[in-house]
Amino acid sequence: MPDSEGGSVTPAGGTAVVERPAEQTTPLTPWVTIVWDDPVNLMSYVTHVFVTYFHYSATKATKLMMQVHEDGKAVVSSGSREEMERDVNAMHEYGLWATMDKADA
Amino acid sequence: MKKFARRRGVASTRLSGYEVELLTSLVSQLVELVAEGEPEQYAAPADGEDPFERLARDLRSDPDEPEVSEDPVVRRLFPNAYPHDAAASSDFRRFTERDLRSKKVADAQVVLRGLAETEQGSRELRIAPADGEAWLRTLTAVRLAVATRLGITDTESAEELADLPDEDPRSFMVSVYDWLGFAQETLISAL
Repeated sequence: MPDSEGGSVTPAGGTAVVERPAEQTTPLTPWVTIVWDDPVNLMSYVTHVFVTYFHYSATKATKLMMQVHEDGKAVVSSGSREEMERDVNAMHEYGLWATMDKADA
Repeated sequence: MKKFARRRGVASTRLSGYEVELLTSLVSQLVELVAEGEPEQYAAPADGEDPFERLARDLRSDPDEPEVSEDPVVRRLFPNAYPHDAAASSDFRRFTERDLRSKKVADAQVVLRGLAETEQGSRELRIAPADGEAWLRTLTAVRLAVATRLGITDTESAEELADLPDEDPRSFMVSVYDWLGFAQETLISAL
């Protein structure tokens, strides 16, 4: 680590930028957000949430909503664990019943 | 109430004085429940608050505090993120639940403000586009609370309640639940 000559003590180049572990950016075991069917949330509302939060097209959002409704659950997004925690938290904000899991589980 | 109509981006309807009173009461109960009787603790939105103060306050609180509630309504509003991993679920709660409670309280306050502006229903209820999501999320939370209290756990129990005789003590709450559904459904199409 090169030291800066001449006084001013700056935390030299290596200001401990912790390297993010590779799996956070290119997940080897990606995680998924699952939305579960519940008897309360309206179909129009579930679709609305998928469009509003994930910016999915109306077609994709409706398809996912129908999957939740008919199969009891649907994977609505996938990515790193941090990203999925954010998505699950957002779904809870909207009152949807969401959980996360490893994609291969 | 009539269904929400959309005019120049604003969703509006008219509520009777009784409907305003009822919805105000339900949303206030939701705030009490979500804020655990201390709405002022959750009232201030995160912005404007010194992040250090906030961190210090969080550290003062018992780290094991956010445990799973015994109230089924609270459990439904704050579900387990990791159903197969109690430790991870507990960590998730610790990092997210306070914010989530604050957001639900902030949403509910938007609704209470809108209801107050109708002056007991003498003025139109007007929901600006910026407030639409807060209204939808709050109506959802109230519907989830009412449904949980009514024991609606699946399609069968929901259908059973739809056919209750008028003299059943639950029939009033069922009518409230239907009313909330109508309000939400028509608000979605008006937004």
